[in-house]
Amino acid sequence: MSEPVLTVVFLLMNGLVWGLLVALIALGLALIFGVMGIVNMAHGDLYMAGAVLAFFLGPLLGHFWLGLLVVLFAIALIAGPIERYVLRPYEGHPSATMIATVGISFILQQLALAAYGGIPKKMDPPWTASFSLLGVDYPGYRLLVAAISVLILGAVWFFLYRTSMGILVRASIEDRQMAEAMGINTSRILVFTFVLGCVLAAVAGVMAAPVTQVSYLMGTDVALLSFIVVIVGGLGSLAGAVITALVLCSLEGVLSAVLTPVQSKAAIFVLMITILMLRPRGIFGQRNG
Amino acid sequence: MSWMNKTRLDKSYSLGFLAVLLVLGLVLPSGARSLVVQVMVLCVFAMAYDICLGFTDQCSLGHSVFFGAGAYGVVLSLLWLKLGLIPALLAGLLAGLLLSVPLGIVSVRLSEAYFVIVTAIISAIFHLLAMDMTWLTGGDDGLSVSLPKLSLGMVDLSVYDPHTNYYLVFVSLLLSYLVLRRILDAPLGKVFVCIRENEKRALFLGYNVEWYKLAAFVISGTFSGLAGGLYAVTLRYASADYFSFYWSILPIVWCLIGGLGTLSGCWIGVLLMCLFQYYVSAWFTHYLLIFGVLILVVLRASRRGIIGYLMARG
Amino acid sequence: MVGEGYLLELCKVSKRFGGLSALEGVSMGVRRGEVRGIIGPNGAGKTTLFNVITGELRPTSGKILLEGEDITGIPPYSICRKGIGRTFQLTLIFPEMTVLDCVWAGLNARSKRVWWRLLWGSPPEDQATRNAMEIIRQVGLEERAHELASNLSYGDQKVLEIAMALSTGPRILLLDEPTQGVGPQEATSIVQLIKKLSAHTTIILIEHDMNMILEVCDSVTVLNFGSVIAQGTWAEISGNQEVQRIYLGERSWIS
Repeated sequence: MSEPVLTVVFLLMNGLVWGLLVALIALGLALIFGVMGIVNMAHGDLYMAGAVLAFFLGPLLGHFWLGLLVVLFAIALIAGPIERYVLRPYEGHPSATMIATVGISFILQQLALAAYGGIPKKMDPPWTASFSLLGVDYPGYRLLVAAISVLILGAVWFFLYRTSMGILVRASIEDRQMAEAMGINTSRILVFTFVLGCVLAAVAGVMAAPVTQVSYLMGTDVALLSFIVVIVGGLGSLAGAVITALVLCSLEGVLSAVLTPVQSKAAIFVLMITILMLRPRGIFGQRNG
Repeated sequence: MSWMNKTRLDKSYSLGFLAVLLVLGLVLPSGARSLVVQVMVLCVFAMAYDICLGFTDQCSLGHSVFFGAGAYGVVLSLLWLKLGLIPALLAGLLAGLLLSVPLGIVSVRLSEAYFVIVTAIISAIFHLLAMDMTWLTGGDDGLSVSLPKLSLGMVDLSVYDPHTNYYLVFVSLLLSYLVLRRILDAPLGKVFVCIRENEKRALFLGYNVEWYKLAAFVISGTFSGLAGGLYAVTLRYASADYFSFYWSILPIVWCLIGGLGTLSGCWIGVLLMCLFQYYVSAWFTHYLLIFGVLILVVLRASRRGIIGYLMARG
Repeated sequence: MVGEGYLLELCKVSKRFGGLSALEGVSMGVRRGEVRGIIGPNGAGKTTLFNVITGELRPTSGKILLEGEDITGIPPYSICRKGIGRTFQLTLIFPEMTVLDCVWAGLNARSKRVWWRLLWGSPPEDQATRNAMEIIRQVGLEERAHELASNLSYGDQKVLEIAMALSTGPRILLLDEPTQGVGPQEATSIVQLIKKLSAHTTIILIEHDMNMILEVCDSVTVLNFGSVIAQGTWAEISGNQEVQRIYLGERSWIS
């Protein structure tokens, strides 16, 4: 195949791998929105927290994948109390709750800055093999990340559709008022959903750490992208979030062949505005009335 | 008739605050004076934001767009068009107006959570673009500008004179306050309050709620533009940093501290936050950490802020 | 059932939510000056009917005519300006505004929309305020006119909401359970108020209290599962088998 085609294939594959990671993050956002009615403004910083923790814990534990597990539990331990004691008092006031998550975002960023420093650092992937795919030499670690992301997405699907807890979560998303009236939307579901959403972001952060540069501001870009994803996909639509993440990220990957990163972000932004004008609740969002 | 007392309390507090500012310009030493100038500029921004959040309950996370646009409106019109100072400030105001109309049209019809997140996305994109388009904005380094003389018919005054600078900002604050107060006391302002109190009821009383929300958003964006312009004038400088998320969050904190929906209550918030930032950032590098904690504390402590609290008692 | 000369006319109006049918081919006509009661068990579609008439919900099919003018699918604020005022089951008022301002708001909404009036008017002295006082006097809240709406008793809030609906100058007033959750004494005065209003306003009333329906309504529409199962005067519907089946044992209003 010719050089330009190879480049596009490579960029497209990057876009897809990246899209799977963003799908995890956006799925977390969509879950939290569906159940709690808010957009978690600190979501990007939980992704960052995952990466920074992995950066510290990897060498400390001597094992990248062990680090991932520890990060997962650490974030769960942080996120639970945040939901219960920081966000819960504003239940029913979306704006106030979202401002509170902005506060949390500032705190997380500054803690990371204090602990980690301001300079972005590189992290070595735990697996350095590479494969030849469609004539392109592709890093094996990225394929592994893609595979794990697919597995996690599958596990979340299984959880939501095949376990009783998951069905309660889905019922809360489907009709919050009804679920509340039936006593489903208990404290347990709220904490659980928030923790699950945050853990998804953090896991994506850990896996992204060796692919991108680790910095205390790395969450900002990702947050922006995943916000756009959930807006375009329709807040609260889980499948919409995943599909939109894959499509938008592949698109951004291909666009980066001809545009600068900022230009391709701007292009995606224009796309978002257009979609919002046509469908104020996103492509997969339910219309009211 | 306690609401009469409240109106009176509000009026006497606002006039008292302005009177103190009027006198302070003459007596303060230069260091403190420049701090007060900054406070006054940001008071304009805070009032503008209050129109949006405090009077129509639209929690925008995108007001840095208008602030930054106003700043660049002034700086670029000075650099390129060689406008006078007053026309340049009007250009800043116009920049806020011209941006808030299309952004408002996109966002005001969205539901609450969508509105918050879409305004946040808009501000993030503008920040990215401002950082990227260095040929226009100077990026992170920004653009410096030297100010022309302030021509008031007969006399030309140099704004490099600290008193001129101080009173230019003071008069802008005073005018902004009077204009906004007028709007809020007029039928338009009352309709804003109706929408804040109960959007659905306002709709079923025959109000085109989206239209009024857009009006509030645009008034808010316009005066945010003026504030950005004044800020650029007092620093003789504008940078892409004015578009950053931080500048969208600050007005929320000011309004929450001072009291939402009081127009002038946020002045207290601005004053406290400026003092806080001035002293705390001097001894603690991770000032923003405390800022984050402060957001949570302020949010928790009072939904109405200091002035709102006093008025509820008074 | 459907014919000429109605003030408000519904032609085969249906509203479906997904697979659920909330209204099914509802046709009815209300004449000027009439007081029409809407009754039916919980979930029969009474409030959905109001939501469809006032434009909160767009009907899936069918037409709504106000004095022959098609108002189907136009936004709630224009329907309101065309002359349909309503109250809600869960009272909607402006809690942090005074009673006077609440009523002023409706009058202001219908005053001529010249943009400079929005900026240069001065509510405490304008014509709308004087008219608002008139309406407040009419519903008997004049002593509380400068009180914050949230400080009123629940019954008075219900009365205030009726006053707010009146302030829009409605040709038809839609009242959704105006006495629900109100003490017996206040309920009596609300009934008196509605009787007073019915002298010069067309009213459609959703109500569970059958005594009240008997007292104020000229005619009744009975809904069940989103369909009209009977309508007409008392004499006409009290003999209806289906109506009896629904209500027998529940309430002994058919005597």
